Amino acid sequence: MKANVWMGKRKVSVEQVPDPRILNARDAIVRVTSTTICGSDLHLYNGFVPTMQRGDILGHEFMGEVVELGSAVKNLMIGDRVVVPFAIACGNCEECLLHNFSLCENANPNAWISEKLMGHAVTGAFGYAHLTGGFAGGQAEYVRVPYADFGPLKVPSALTDEQVLFLSDIFPTGYMAAEFCEINPRKVIAVWGAGPVGQFAIASARLLGAEKVIAIDRFAYRLDLAVKRAGATDVINYEEVPSVHEALMDLTAGRGPDACIDAVGLEAHGTGAEYAYDKVKQTLRIELDRPIAVRDAIMACRNGGIVSVIGVYAGLVDKFPLGALMNRGLTIKSGQCHVHRYMKPLLERIERGDIDPTFVISHRMKLDDAPVGYDMFVHKRDGAMKIVLHT
Amino acid sequence: MNEISAFRSERSAEDQADATGLIRGLGWFGVTLGVAELAVPRLLASAIGVDRHGAAPVILRAMGVREIASSAAVLVRPDHPAPRWARVIGDAIDLGLLGLALGSPGTGRRRLALALGMVAGVTALDVIAARRRGRARHPLPVIAAVTINRSPMEVYEFCRRLEQLPQFMKYLASVEQHPNRRSTWTARLPVGGTVQWEAELVEDRPGQVLSWRSVEGSQVQTRGRVTFTRAPGRDMTEVRVEMQLGVFGRGPSLELARLFARPQVRGDLRRLKQVLETGEVLHSDASVHRLPHPAQPSPASREIPPPQVLVDSPPTAVKGVSP
Repeated sequence: MKANVWMGKRKVSVEQVPDPRILNARDAIVRVTSTTICGSDLHLYNGFVPTMQRGDILGHEFMGEVVELGSAVKNLMIGDRVVVPFAIACGNCEECLLHNFSLCENANPNAWISEKLMGHAVTGAFGYAHLTGGFAGGQAEYVRVPYADFGPLKVPSALTDEQVLFLSDIFPTGYMAAEFCEINPRKVIAVWGAGPVGQFAIASARLLGAEKVIAIDRFAYRLDLAVKRAGATDVINYEEVPSVHEALMDLTAGRGPDACIDAVGLEAHGTGAEYAYDKVKQTLRIELDRPIAVRDAIMACRNGGIVSVIGVYAGLVDKFPLGALMNRGLTIKSGQCHVHRYMKPLLERIERGDIDPTFVISHRMKLDDAPVGYDMFVHKRDGAMKIVLHT
Repeated sequence: MNEISAFRSERSAEDQADATGLIRGLGWFGVTLGVAELAVPRLLASAIGVDRHGAAPVILRAMGVREIASSAAVLVRPDHPAPRWARVIGDAIDLGLLGLALGSPGTGRRRLALALGMVAGVTALDVIAARRRGRARHPLPVIAAVTINRSPMEVYEFCRRLEQLPQFMKYLASVEQHPNRRSTWTARLPVGGTVQWEAELVEDRPGQVLSWRSVEGSQVQTRGRVTFTRAPGRDMTEVRVEMQLGVFGRGPSLELARLFARPQVRGDLRRLKQVLETGEVLHSDASVHRLPHPAQPSPASREIPPPQVLVDSPPTAVKGVSP
């Protein structure tokens, strides 16, 4: 089959690789019909996530048709159309019983790597380096799905691929970021990063009843989309204002946003000396992540407010404003999205017409053009927002 | 610590003569003094009344190096008497040097006498410490532990069928249970080939504990125990493995078990959890290979182990989330 594989820093290519086989009784093989490039794939592409290996198949947002089933999968049939959550979860361990699916205790055969890096293991995921298990990803014609009797969501034929594809990651991820904010109409929400996850965080904050949602980014086309389609009420282009902090204090009359969402993560951009400082330290590997967005979010957040960290971080940061966090009674909520928790309710919202997730799509390509897509996305060329790959 | 401390019972006798506080105190005192001798020898020379421009500072620096070395050794091995006796010998040298200085011209006798008195006091303490016993920081005997969403009896029963241990203990080729309490274990060596040993069950309390030891004269010497306890507040099981291992002709020791067996046992427990909770050991595209392999499917020519469901009815899965 064809698959998009990682060949090294800033290099991917579509190669001929062996077809996947059933490895466990609870597996399914899915013929991928649609997949996408995620912002977090860019962290892999740019070489910021440890434990990547040349030849790894990328991609963790995908959907398709079941073509083969392991003997223990009873709830799916050959031919079923499914969306697959990016995080792999068993459905049997304690964290799964608590619905913390992205913390599943069984889904990572390489648990020891993340135990060393992060203290405890993280769960398995498709196409996301070897610290999440070494599972081949979904930017391919076929993919093997473990625990297929638990993860994949059957989708109604009335909905198109593009309407339901983002249930695999970015829609639930943005939604969870908004849910963290314990939204009611009085709450003002600020969202750092108006990429696809940020767009869904903004849209979800509106769905959950926030009256005022502020989008922060440096690309005008992204801020436009945030206002026109996601429902942001205000925007801040941080390259055009002297200080994001002041702009936020102005918009909130000195209170600060009640909750701040970091939908940026470890490759944050910024301006001035702080950005230069983090860029140098990250290049020298003295810190793994550039925590500019989360620093800003903490400093801006209202006293007693919530900082929702949904952007991906990989390791250590420095100059972390712990004093502001502690003395001003802030709460940090964070995590990889517990996708399984949100797929069904969000599918219902799509069916009801509450939201049309296709609004984030900027480009449609063939799987063969994945390398072009990565290049376009990483350089934000041609208004790149969400790139969907069809096989 | 009830059952867990079984292997530490021999410590209680030592504890009665425990002088750990004194030993550590002397160690830190020595390091501090040594650093001062190294860093500001002239200042010290004036303080004890010897000529600060002659050979004294050089001698003081040398004394500082020795002081730091012996005291650091005391801190690293408070359980071992040798570094403490080294300190006593060092004290004797210091006393001798100070005595010599007493005879030379240009010294402040009163200050020197005071210094001599202080060193004599420290020497007395060092002698006391050298004759007492210190306590090492004993490592915990548990080398690996895991929590499993099954009752203690279920986990025990699965583990008690020794023949199926190789299904989740990767390095084991086979375990053969004999009619008595003995069993024959065959392990694959990472360098190729196998090693075999005979073990016997020592304790076998259903739902609580299994313990074993290798029989006399085995190639691999091992003893240990697995305890099964109910996790606080839930119907799950805490599994703890205590283990000692002897290889290269050495008797069983915790250090060797921590070095060689711990990484393996941790993986084994994770796989045991997978089997009991999800029915089988989970593989990824990379993990089916022993050596590093990219996360892409293996070529069709390569044989992969067929799926093997080891436990039929995993505990209640989450309801109402999945379709």
